[in-house]
Amino acid sequence: MQRWIRNFFDTHRPKFEKEGRFHRYHGLFEAFETIFFLPDSTTSQSPHIRDSLDLKRFMSIVILAIVPVALFGIYNTGFYACLAAGKSTAFLPSFMQGLLIFIPLLVVSYGVGFFWEALFAVRRGHGISEGFLVSGLLYPLILPPDLPLWQAAIGISFGVVIGKEIFGGTGRNLLNPALTARAFVFFAYPGQMSGDAVWISGGATDAVSGATALAISAQAEPGSQIPAMLDQAGLGLFELFVGRTPGSIGETSALLCLVGALILIITGVANWRIMVGGVLGVLGTGMLLNQLATGSLAAAMGLPAYYHLVMGGFAFGIVFMATDPVTAPGTDAARWLYGFLIGALTVLIRVFNPAYPEGTMLAILFMNLFAPLLDHFVIQIRLRKRISHV
Amino acid sequence: MENLMGIFLNSVFVGNILLAYFLGMCSFVAVSGNLKTATGLGFAVIFVLAITTPVNWFIHHYLLAPGALAWAGLPDVDLNFLRFITFIASIAAMVQIVEMVIERISQALYTALGVFLPLIAVNCAILGTSLFMVERNYNFSESLVFGLGSGTGWFLAIVAMASLRQKLRYADLPYGLEGYGITMIVTGLMAMGFMIFSGIAL
Repeated sequence: MQRWIRNFFDTHRPKFEKEGRFHRYHGLFEAFETIFFLPDSTTSQSPHIRDSLDLKRFMSIVILAIVPVALFGIYNTGFYACLAAGKSTAFLPSFMQGLLIFIPLLVVSYGVGFFWEALFAVRRGHGISEGFLVSGLLYPLILPPDLPLWQAAIGISFGVVIGKEIFGGTGRNLLNPALTARAFVFFAYPGQMSGDAVWISGGATDAVSGATALAISAQAEPGSQIPAMLDQAGLGLFELFVGRTPGSIGETSALLCLVGALILIITGVANWRIMVGGVLGVLGTGMLLNQLATGSLAAAMGLPAYYHLVMGGFAFGIVFMATDPVTAPGTDAARWLYGFLIGALTVLIRVFNPAYPEGTMLAILFMNLFAPLLDHFVIQIRLRKRISHV
Repeated sequence: MENLMGIFLNSVFVGNILLAYFLGMCSFVAVSGNLKTATGLGFAVIFVLAITTPVNWFIHHYLLAPGALAWAGLPDVDLNFLRFITFIASIAAMVQIVEMVIERISQALYTALGVFLPLIAVNCAILGTSLFMVERNYNFSESLVFGLGSGTGWFLAIVAMASLRQKLRYADLPYGLEGYGITMIVTGLMAMGFMIFSGIAL
């Protein structure tokens, strides 16, 4: 089998080389070949480090870390869809139902995204990078389950083309492509992207309320006790941590995001400073607001800070989105600050912005904009510490 | 005091003069290529806004607004139709005066700001801030804080844009989009990021 594939690529390679008939499609050919075989070409210019960690392996580890979250997300989405439809909520039927919801979104995300990647690769003569395998998997996971597929397609088109390809492809984008895509859909089609009805496939019914923990906390009257209200709605701290709650497909389980975070940190793929900074930002801001909370101000101010870590998409965002090495800062001090500000902004938006119950997505996009500036300041401070004209 | 804090935060983040109202785009796009000059121009805009907005408040309240000339014994005169031209003239005059004062006091700052200082006279963020000040019925201290906040918001936007454009030096842009084209697109993406604050009532 392996020899057959090898032969296939070898016989067709000349057509894609410089003088070949299809040399325009060289990037496409290479992308498919490197799925099956390790490329034998190495970086031609010095300096370079001998390491087995190339972009493909790097991205494979990220995908591996996302898989548990995705599998649980599929089950959870299916569970709520079955519950809303009044069907059996046993494990297997729920999982199948979830697959029926998730797979079309995934196919659209990969299919449409790959189309744009390939178009740009062919027209502009650069290779197709593995980065899109991650963005294309993250994108459906942060969508509400019932989003019409054409809207998902328009979103990923915007994310890939405006968010990434016009800057020259993977490694050159300023904003996280998956989040850009989601933000675009969020602002373009608010009816399908927010509110109580969208988080459960089939819509909320009398039997199941579609309200997420964030919506409950945002709509609570001043002076009310949110943790008790959440318990009453079946969204206690434990359920929120494990992820048995309605929400975007992949965002609900803080526990499995933590597992993903461990995989990413142990393999050295994602930077732990950003994640720890983010958690500190949430806890610090949350506790500060707890101190300031009084009966007449927003009830969410009194919500214990650790609830913000498990509610909504914060865990997913800080682990898989904020740590994107292209759009995050490159210096350690800037990473701490970047993570901290994402956490702080998330809490501030959740508590004080009545327009959005959730702030993680826009907090990360906002900090993406300031990542180069943070790096610049860190470098300037370091330069100033040097002894001049030694 | 809380009210003034609210106006400041509102004009820096929620109603950022550049990324929410898209005023002052021309010098933003033209000067954001270099972080150092962008910082200089940003400070100059803060400075000029903090002076022109209160000055225009005086002009509006004691010359132009309906009934403003009551102190001169002319309570029925309404010179409001002169608002635009008077504001533009006062902004140009203020920029000139500021320029001369800076040249007299600090030669170093004057050379650092260079040509950008006179250019501020035609920056529409300055006129826009004065007109918003009238529209929102700010009093004197509010208009001072509003001017400062608007300037700070503009400063934040241009400095962030300059650092992003520095990063874009390593990008591989399509031929037609180099320079101003990509800057406009990035401005749009920045505005999307700043929408995180839209909806906050301060």
